[in-house]
This record gives sequence, structure tokens and C-alpha cells, in this order.
Amino acid sequence: MEIAVIGSSEFTLGFRLAGIRNIHETNGKDDLIPVIQNVLNDREIGVLVIHNDDLASLPENFQNMLDELVTPTTIALGGAGESSNLRDKIKQAVGVDLWK
Amino acid sequence: MAIQDVKPTRSELIDLKKKIKLSEGGHKLLKMKRDGLILEFFEILEKAKSIRAELDVQFDVSMEKVNIAKSVEGIVTIKSTAFSFKDTPSLEVQSKNVMGVVVPKIESSSVRKHINDRGYGIIGTSSRIDEAVDAYEVLVEKIILAAEIETTIKKLLDEIEKTKRRVNALEFKVIPELTEARDFIILRLDEMERENIFRLKRIKG
Repeated sequence: MEIAVIGSSEFTLGFRLAGIRNIHETNGKDDLIPVIQNVLNDREIGVLVIHNDDLASLPENFQNMLDELVTPTTIALGGAGESSNLRDKIKQAVGVDLWK
Repeated sequence: MAIQDVKPTRSELIDLKKKIKLSEGGHKLLKMKRDGLILEFFEILEKAKSIRAELDVQFDVSMEKVNIAKSVEGIVTIKSTAFSFKDTPSLEVQSKNVMGVVVPKIESSSVRKHINDRGYGIIGTSSRIDEAVDAYEVLVEKIILAAEIETTIKKLLDEIEKTKRRVNALEFKVIPELTEARDFIILRLDEMERENIFRLKRIKG
């Protein structure tokens, strides 16, 4: 299986240097969903890397669907979105803010 | 179950007693599951926190390095260097079951390579590109690690929440309602028994 990276050319450029070939450049938020759906249909993708801002711009049900999937596993980078998302989840499930 | 819908019969009482026993058993099991999930969650929480912090720092460092390389060498040089890479990191994603929660288990081939094994010429490229490659190799390694841990923690949290809701529903809704219905039937049956005795005594008298 491979790693896929989705995002702007600025975000994806460095991943090319790590030898990742499955890179999908997007030109704004509009073509993000079709590109992600293409990646989800590819059974060879194990991890999907996406920028936090792009992930946050997706509809909530689409974000939840990405969260649910094991293959590919989605990981968001950049900004503080992912850790605050996890913090909220912990607060909701356990009742205490343990992400300090 | 509304109390007015309950039929005060012996068979209904037996059914209700069975239901209460089943609900209490389920409640106990779900509580144990919830506690087990919370223990699993606490085991990986620290790991998840540290890997996310490291990932954020490494992402910033990597972006900085690639931006320096881009401004000095130009985007075309970086892209052409990237095209000459021999290997691409490959993954093995399996799923494992933690108390009924399906979580990923990711293993990868070595992402970090020696400068001679990368595939691009050392003389034709500058040290800035090498630094950016180094930084991104470390980042990809951390991404693979974080992908496994963060997905596991998210799935555990979802399951903890679901189990908590089920435990609460059984404890504060289902079991009290069933108990109330059982008590009502017992009361009603006792009342009917007393009425019968009274009626028999009147007939005898």
C-alpha cells in the first residue's frame, strides 16, 4: 500500500522529495471532494495526508466518513485543527480535558 | 414502557423478571467494556499527545526547509530531483480488534534512506535539497506512526461514547422502567388476590 497526499502545490511539494508518488494537487476547495473520492476508491492507498484547512473545509458528514475509515487512514497536518478536534472528542467522551 | 400499557398478569411478570435480569447482566458487561476501553485509551493517550506535538514541529521544520530549497534552487530543480527517486515508501495496513473496535496496524518499509540510495546525483543538487529530503523523510515516518495512533484513539473515543450512552440508557431508563412495571404488576396481583379472598369470604358469609 502507499501514502497519498492531497493539497495545494505548496503543501505537496516536499512530499515528492520523500519519494511519494501518489500526489494530487488541488486548485482550491471545489475540486477537493472529487479528488478525495478518487483516492478513496483506490484500494492501494493506506494513508491519506491532507492539510488541516482543507479537511476543515469539507462538509461535516464527509469528515466523519473519513474519520471512520481504517483504509485509508486520514491524517491532517498544519495548524492546530487536528489536536483541537481530538481535544473536543476527548472532552465529549471522557468528560475531562486530558489533552493538556 | 408506560405503566398503563402493562398487563398485570403472571406471565407478564415472569417476562419482565427475565428482561430485568438480562438488562442487569448487559449493564454489568457494558460497564466492564467501558472501563476496559478507558484503560486502553489511557495507555495510548500520552503517546498520541507526544507524537502529535512532534508531528506539528516536524511539519513546520520540513516546510521551512523545503521553502528555503525552493527559493534557492527553484521549484523545477526540486521537482526534477523528486522524479529521480528510486523507491517510494510502501505500507502494510492491517486491522486489529481492540474490545470490538477495529483499529489499524500500520507497518512500513524504511522511509529514511542513505544519501547514495535516494537516486539523485549528489553533485547536481545542493545541500538544501538534501536537508529538505531528510526533513520530509522524518516527517513521513512520523505520519505513519501518528496515523496508527490517532486513528486508534479516535475509534476508542467513539466507542467509549457509544458504550457510555448504552450504560446510561440501561441504568437510568431501561432498568428503572422495567423495575417500575414489575413492582406495578406485583402490586396489582396482590390487590387481585386480596379482592379474591374478600369475595370468597363474602360468599361464604
